[in-house]
Amino acid sequence: MQKAKTKTKAKKAEQLYLSDRRPLTAMGRVMLALSYLLLILWAVAILWPLLQMLVSAFNGGQSKYISLTGDFHFSLKHFKFLFEKTYFLIWVKNTLIIAASSALLTLLIVSFTGYAYSRYRFSGRKASLMSILLIQAIPVFAGITAYYTMHSIISAIFPFFTRQALLVLIYAGGGIASNTFILKGYIDSISSELDDAAHIDGCSNMQVYRLIIMPIARPMLAIIALWSFIGPFMDYMMPRILLTNPQSYTLATGLFTLINDVRKMNQPAFAAGGLLTAVPIIILFISLQGQLVSGLSQGSVKG
Amino acid sequence: MKIAPKVIDQIGEAHERKNLYLRELAALEEKAAAAGGDELKALQKKIAELRRNKSEHPYQKELAAYRAAEKNFLAQLKAEEAREKAGQPDDDPALAKLSREIRQSQKEEAFYEPYVELTYDAELAWRNAVVKLRHLPEMMENRRLLNEHIARVQKEKQTAAAHGDSAIKAQISAEKKLIEKKYALRNQELKEKQKSGMISPKAVHNESRVLKRAKAEEIQMLEMKDPLCSKTEELRALQHRHKVELKEERAVMQADLSDLYRRIPVETEDHLPLRAWVGSLIPGLSQLLNQQFVKALLFFLSGLFTFLVAIPYALGFGNFRGQGIAGLISLAEGGKRVDRSIIFMIEGIIAIILLLFAAAAYYFHIRDSFHVEKQRLKGIRPNRWTETRQEISRNGFPYIVSAPALIVIVFIVLLPAITTILLSFTNMDPKNQSKFVWIGLENYKTLALGQGVAGKAFWLILGWTVIWTLAATTLAILIGFFLALLVNQERIRGKRFWRTIYLLPWAVPAFITIMFFSIMLAPNGPLTEIISAIVGHTVNVKSDTTLTRIALVMLQGWLGSSYIFLLCTGILQSIPSDLYEAADIDGARGFQRIRHITVPLVLFQIAPLLVTQYTFNFNNYSIIALFNDGGPFFPSLYGNLAGSSDILISYIYKLTIDKQYQALGASITVIVSAVLMFISYLGFRKTKAFNS
Amino acid sequence: MDVSLNNIGKKYEGREKFTIRHIDLEIKSQDFCVILGPSGCGKSTLLRMIAGLNSITEGELLFGDKLMNKVEPKDRNIAMVFQSYALYPHMTVYDNMAFSLKMRKASKELIHERVMEAAEVLQIKDYLYNRPAEISGGQRQRVALGRAMVRKPAVFLMDEPLSNLDAKLREHMRVELVRLHKRLGTTSIYVTHDQTEAMTMATKIVLLNNGVIQQQGPPEELYQHPANLFVAGFIGTPTMNTFAGQIESGQFVSEGGSFTMAAPEGMRELFAAHEGRKITLGVRGERFEEGLSDLNHLEMKVEVIEMLGKEQLLYCTLKDGKQCVISAPGYKKYTTDEDVVFHVKPEAMHFFDTESGLRLENLSEKK
Repeated sequence: MQKAKTKTKAKKAEQLYLSDRRPLTAMGRVMLALSYLLLILWAVAILWPLLQMLVSAFNGGQSKYISLTGDFHFSLKHFKFLFEKTYFLIWVKNTLIIAASSALLTLLIVSFTGYAYSRYRFSGRKASLMSILLIQAIPVFAGITAYYTMHSIISAIFPFFTRQALLVLIYAGGGIASNTFILKGYIDSISSELDDAAHIDGCSNMQVYRLIIMPIARPMLAIIALWSFIGPFMDYMMPRILLTNPQSYTLATGLFTLINDVRKMNQPAFAAGGLLTAVPIIILFISLQGQLVSGLSQGSVKG
Repeated sequence: MKIAPKVIDQIGEAHERKNLYLRELAALEEKAAAAGGDELKALQKKIAELRRNKSEHPYQKELAAYRAAEKNFLAQLKAEEAREKAGQPDDDPALAKLSREIRQSQKEEAFYEPYVELTYDAELAWRNAVVKLRHLPEMMENRRLLNEHIARVQKEKQTAAAHGDSAIKAQISAEKKLIEKKYALRNQELKEKQKSGMISPKAVHNESRVLKRAKAEEIQMLEMKDPLCSKTEELRALQHRHKVELKEERAVMQADLSDLYRRIPVETEDHLPLRAWVGSLIPGLSQLLNQQFVKALLFFLSGLFTFLVAIPYALGFGNFRGQGIAGLISLAEGGKRVDRSIIFMIEGIIAIILLLFAAAAYYFHIRDSFHVEKQRLKGIRPNRWTETRQEISRNGFPYIVSAPALIVIVFIVLLPAITTILLSFTNMDPKNQSKFVWIGLENYKTLALGQGVAGKAFWLILGWTVIWTLAATTLAILIGFFLALLVNQERIRGKRFWRTIYLLPWAVPAFITIMFFSIMLAPNGPLTEIISAIVGHTVNVKSDTTLTRIALVMLQGWLGSSYIFLLCTGILQSIPSDLYEAADIDGARGFQRIRHITVPLVLFQIAPLLVTQYTFNFNNYSIIALFNDGGPFFPSLYGNLAGSSDILISYIYKLTIDKQYQALGASITVIVSAVLMFISYLGFRKTKAFNS
Repeated sequence: MDVSLNNIGKKYEGREKFTIRHIDLEIKSQDFCVILGPSGCGKSTLLRMIAGLNSITEGELLFGDKLMNKVEPKDRNIAMVFQSYALYPHMTVYDNMAFSLKMRKASKELIHERVMEAAEVLQIKDYLYNRPAEISGGQRQRVALGRAMVRKPAVFLMDEPLSNLDAKLREHMRVELVRLHKRLGTTSIYVTHDQTEAMTMATKIVLLNNGVIQQQGPPEELYQHPANLFVAGFIGTPTMNTFAGQIESGQFVSEGGSFTMAAPEGMRELFAAHEGRKITLGVRGERFEEGLSDLNHLEMKVEVIEMLGKEQLLYCTLKDGKQCVISAPGYKKYTTDEDVVFHVKPEAMHFFDTESGLRLENLSEKK
């Protein structure tokens, strides 16, 4: 077989063979072609539905239903509908506020616990790490019945305590355990001699945390913040349970009303809304793909 | 208990007693312990006599005289201090205080010296004064010099301000321009180098950052050439020193004093921890008796929490509606219409949590008071606030910063979870919404035996949930892994391009994709029409159980493969190429390489993540609810509570939120959570973090 | 500043035994004190206790006449160079060096002046505004030194600062450090496991093993008069040759009986006092002299020759199979398997009590 290949090569006699790779066999060629075929097929499977969404968002030829067969003529009327006839902007605002405050709260709490668990040997550390691990496994939905009642109790005392605020607390509370773990793992990898040096240079515990550890752990903090932002952003279940007023909806629950409710239904507008929501997130993911994946894998591999 | 012959300091060294009365007593008691019969009786009599005539004991007399003298001395000292304070107003109060302290220490040294052998208290006071006299004069001298320095700089600054040299200013701004020019030139050079391809954009980025920083520094130093600017800066630094230097020096001195305190024991006649017994009634009391005022205050506050918040709340006072712990038992039975059982239950749990907090605080109080008291009986002095604060700032930091996390977890995660567990033992259902009662394990029985409307569906749904979890996750893993292998072949071109496309299903928010597919596969949806046209007859995916399920699994395969793909790609790229080269030399080709090297390596690394993928799909509410809301529905099989594509979590949701069978939903939740916790425990048991 | 340690001991929480104990040490102002010892001997713990990073379980640590036991590290007026350099990766070199002064809110001019001064001395001016990741290991080492210098501390602590450098650079930095110490005159405490570093740099060596001080003193004293077998074996390359044996009728007789050594002048009485005791003879490789002498001689066979240029190491075997390393001048000619005869001058012999490892002279002192 090796010889057959040298023959084919010999035709291009003068060409020097510079590559480190072995020259392709006939079988190899077939396999390569097959590989490309499969890759293209899967790419089509991914792109086709997304393109359909893109097309229907701009197709003025549809009314309430998406149709792929009708004529296409470019129009922004679905976007217009979205902005004028629905609460789309309010949903965006709600989602951003909820997601951002969850991320901030998580970050605030977790940066302290991650630091404490990584750097201090205190009594109860091991036991609480163990409980953190178990708590991590309690699904968020475990408390759904209680949340309503808790909200009514708290809001009777603090009237400004909205359901969205409760939502933020739930997201933050649910993220403490796993994120503490991830951050602890990351801070563990920062040499503790840095802490010592900082102590000698005149830092208190708090200053070591603020001036040394936090800036160095910034990549991981960014990942945690990002995930704590994206989680609430994409969640559908908790908002559906807790938010009842369309004006307080998040994007996930809000957009669902556009395809779910027969009276208000407007599928192309949903496509338009989905598009507007997806584009920034896609850009975010594509530009940060490396960090996002490493952030996820770090949590369990390193612990 | 008897009096120990020697006292022990905090470091653990034994000291001879200075209290001769106690020494005598201890000696007698020691003899008595060894003796028997008549000798014992004689000794006991002697001891009793000694105790009775305590005040007549020569040592005690001497001690009383000393105490009186000390009282007198201290009063005198205090009076003098007040007089001095009123007498001379000083420009620097700190300096005045220092000199006052020096005078005081001198007097103390003189007063206590003759009593050093008499009692450890006097020794402590005397050595305190000695240590202070070693530190204070130097501190005072430093302070005086610093004050002079500040005054000098202030004067210089004033002259500089008065002169306001415009020539210097002009010179500075001229030089500034030069500097700016210099750096602009260098930046330009950099850019040109980049254009001609001599250095990479990253290097340029770094280098320009360096330049920027250097320029800022240079300009800052240039500005310091202006005497006014320079003096202001110097003054600022000096004033900071003025603020903190003395404090730091005091901290050093304090450390010295604390060490003395630890090493000079205390003698007491008590031999039972009476203060601790008495103090255990009220948090803070025993600390107060030991003159630990701040600690006492802190424990007293915790006591206020216990007696004014936790206990009244548990008894039903100050509740929102409930009756504290009693509400947990009664569950608002026979109450008014606004009295809902669930509120009573939650408030009952809150009451228990508060009580637990209170109990913890009380436990620490008791532990602390007995610990301190036992130490004191041995001869160790109770910590003063300075020592306690040192300990807190050293060891308390992790507790203090973790407190917010604890509170959030207790009230946002644990409280609802406990509520759910308790609910599973009640009969909260559509008929018993406002008021429900405890029914024990009835719900679990219903589920286990598949009884009633809800129970019948349970097993069917459980079966589908397991199939769904395994099928959907495995499909996604296979697709993702296979794609990663394909894309990462050496000869495939445009790796970045493929990677970007394959990332999309992950990047587009899942709820949007799912909703979109839901529309497409609706009875009149575009995709339905296409499929129907291909097959030749109408295919209605959403009203056929099998088709819906297949569609769901495929959709999740589509959605979930991206993440696995990216993960595997990362790992594949990190496999060192010499592994493959070694395999090549060993004669492994193509598929063998994949089977023996790639698959095990990748699987080994992503195995823990795969567990999370399975649990994720087990709980994947969004896809079930958004795609077909659990449908299609077959009331004959599932009752009116669920559809044939419902998984446990969406079933729980429907039971709890839509149909108001909260108790049943809670029991399923408990079962599911227990299983999930067990699985993740198994998974994490082996990780490094857990063992370290 | 003088540093004195009185009966210092350290017990880690949850451990039964003291890691180090009964450490008495006087470090004079301007000393360059090297704490030397094999890994795990507690030398880093000791340094960290002086720095305040580890708490002191018992004993007193004094800087000058001030007790430092419980003083915070930042209030001790010390600077420390770490093994990993511990440079803050998110700050530039300049900011790293300026950090301690910035924490004290020193004036910008002073900071600039001090940083520039240190940078000048250490020749790191060219990359003051780079981050630590962008410079080489040797440069990072200098920055770490610079950071410590900028503070003008009363005591300079170094924890194996050269161990991450390659051999050539390490040699160079050793000289640099000595020069720096001369220039600054700061009391320095330096921890290392490398006896060459200790010998070349220290004005005073403290040799630790198993948490106990084996010997302290100037380098030549440790080299010339090792207090016990451990010191003898630890200090000096090649390692001191030791021969087990015992005192028989006022003479040292080696274990196999292959050679005897007459008691040196001035030690006769000692030998007489310890008649019959098992003792160990120690001789440094360079103290063997060729040829016979009246008092003793050793016959051996050269097995391996290691040529180092100015000297050569002869790995020899005695008649009874005992190994021995001899350092001979490089110009002399030896061949492998050659039979050679050496003798040892009396003043080059060290005698230790085999059982306790103590130097024979010290043994009688203790009695």
